[in-house]
Amino acid sequence: MAAIAVHQFAQCITCHAWSPDHAMVAFCPNNNEVHIYKLIQEKWEKLHVLQKHDQIVSGIDWSVRSNRIVTVSHDRNSYVWNQEGSEWVPTLVILRLNRAALCVQWSPKENKFAVGSGAKTVCICYYEQENNWWVSKLIRKRHDSSVTSVAWHPNNVFLATTSTDGKCRVFSTFIKGVDIKEKKEGTSSDTKFGEQILQLDLSFSWAFGVKWSPSGNTLAYVGHNSMIYFVDDVGPSPLAQNVAFRDLPLRDVLFVSEKMVIGVGFDCNPMVFAADETGIWTFIKFLDERKTSSSGPKYGSQFSEAFGKLYGQSKYGVGNDAVESSRTRGGTHVNCINCIVPLREAGSSRITRFTTSGLDGKIVTWDLESQEDLLNYHL
Amino acid sequence: MAGAEGFVEADNAEAIIIRIEHKSRKIESLLKQGKPIEALKTALEGAPPKTQDERCKSANWIVVHRALMAIKDVDFMFSSLDPEYYDILMKYLYRGLSTGDRPTCDQCLRIHEKLTEKAGLGCILRCLADTVNTV
Repeated sequence: MAAIAVHQFAQCITCHAWSPDHAMVAFCPNNNEVHIYKLIQEKWEKLHVLQKHDQIVSGIDWSVRSNRIVTVSHDRNSYVWNQEGSEWVPTLVILRLNRAALCVQWSPKENKFAVGSGAKTVCICYYEQENNWWVSKLIRKRHDSSVTSVAWHPNNVFLATTSTDGKCRVFSTFIKGVDIKEKKEGTSSDTKFGEQILQLDLSFSWAFGVKWSPSGNTLAYVGHNSMIYFVDDVGPSPLAQNVAFRDLPLRDVLFVSEKMVIGVGFDCNPMVFAADETGIWTFIKFLDERKTSSSGPKYGSQFSEAFGKLYGQSKYGVGNDAVESSRTRGGTHVNCINCIVPLREAGSSRITRFTTSGLDGKIVTWDLESQEDLLNYHL
Repeated sequence: MAGAEGFVEADNAEAIIIRIEHKSRKIESLLKQGKPIEALKTALEGAPPKTQDERCKSANWIVVHRALMAIKDVDFMFSSLDPEYYDILMKYLYRGLSTGDRPTCDQCLRIHEKLTEKAGLGCILRCLADTVNTV
């Protein structure tokens, strides 16, 4: 079984993040709070409730080395939480936005974090020692719509974004005094802050869930049109691959190795994509067993029940209430998955475990170790 | 500048219309030979989604419609229709359904059912989500 642990934490979870040692999990139960739980003697116990935001918390990231939590919310603000004793102490970060903040991620060196927003901007926030204050610098006038996802390149300077204008962009976020100019950058000499390095026009619909591969050589993001896009050689002449799949669209992706990607979304079941020796990406399988045995038109969402009704109920055997019947489907997740987080082992670059959360309020831990058919792609 | 672009587009549209007329004749001859699937493939190939010119879109719809209505055995059709045609076929099925014409809708619904089985909901999503390359 690929899913090794399932726990129902809330009615609905907007996002979640793990502590550096994976002992604690922070999540937003679809309100203005962040709950932190710890597994104590096989039981999840609520340790802290972070209450500072006024509206739904849309993004949480927990830094690995500095053990700090950053949260962003629809209230247009961000807080950095530091643990002092047994308390979490918030520091307000004024993002200077006029729309909701939608996503957040710490940079690899954890000296900056990036916030995507509904104000068509990206905020790059960094700590100013002399003022004891987090400063937000904005990348403006590049996005034509909300920024749905941000991803840091391992070099701590490049930032990839996806937007509901359908585009994926890569920016330089070089900040004087925070980043040190590397002589061997090679790719571009003009890595000024906010400089757009690349714009990808592959999708004609909303784009979500951008991620870099561990080495930073490949970029993956998804479109709301049931497509996933893989981009190699990010630079002046990128190599792009569009992979269409037969099921509902994805919301987020995760590279578990250079050659394998897990996608999660409206199909309530993680999808595995992998590249063969020639670098061609294809859909491999669903991770949850429920899907592998079924054949023909058996889909896992409310959407399909509507189609079932269109074609006549008896044929598809759907119940009267669409929501009701989708709940009884019996998969691990029973609603859209919108968040996937790796569980990185210390000192190991490959990821064998990751967790997903979604609109059903569950956090599910998945293990790839037992998936022998995937081992080839996973080294 | 806008005028020049409009001219190019119109010029281009004429070329597309001529190509579609040529295609139409080829489809008629394929239908006479009893090859409805070949006719459908021909109709779907080179469909002009990139142009915004409604005349071109309508002209191509007419030839696709002609080929679609000639399909008798839907199962047989899918046995020889490659997956690369699925997305474009789905777009034309929705165009067919939007006409409201009874026999057209009947035919489109019959094919739609089989196509959804074959190509999944992703195919429908790609069709609905794409507001740029319409047919």
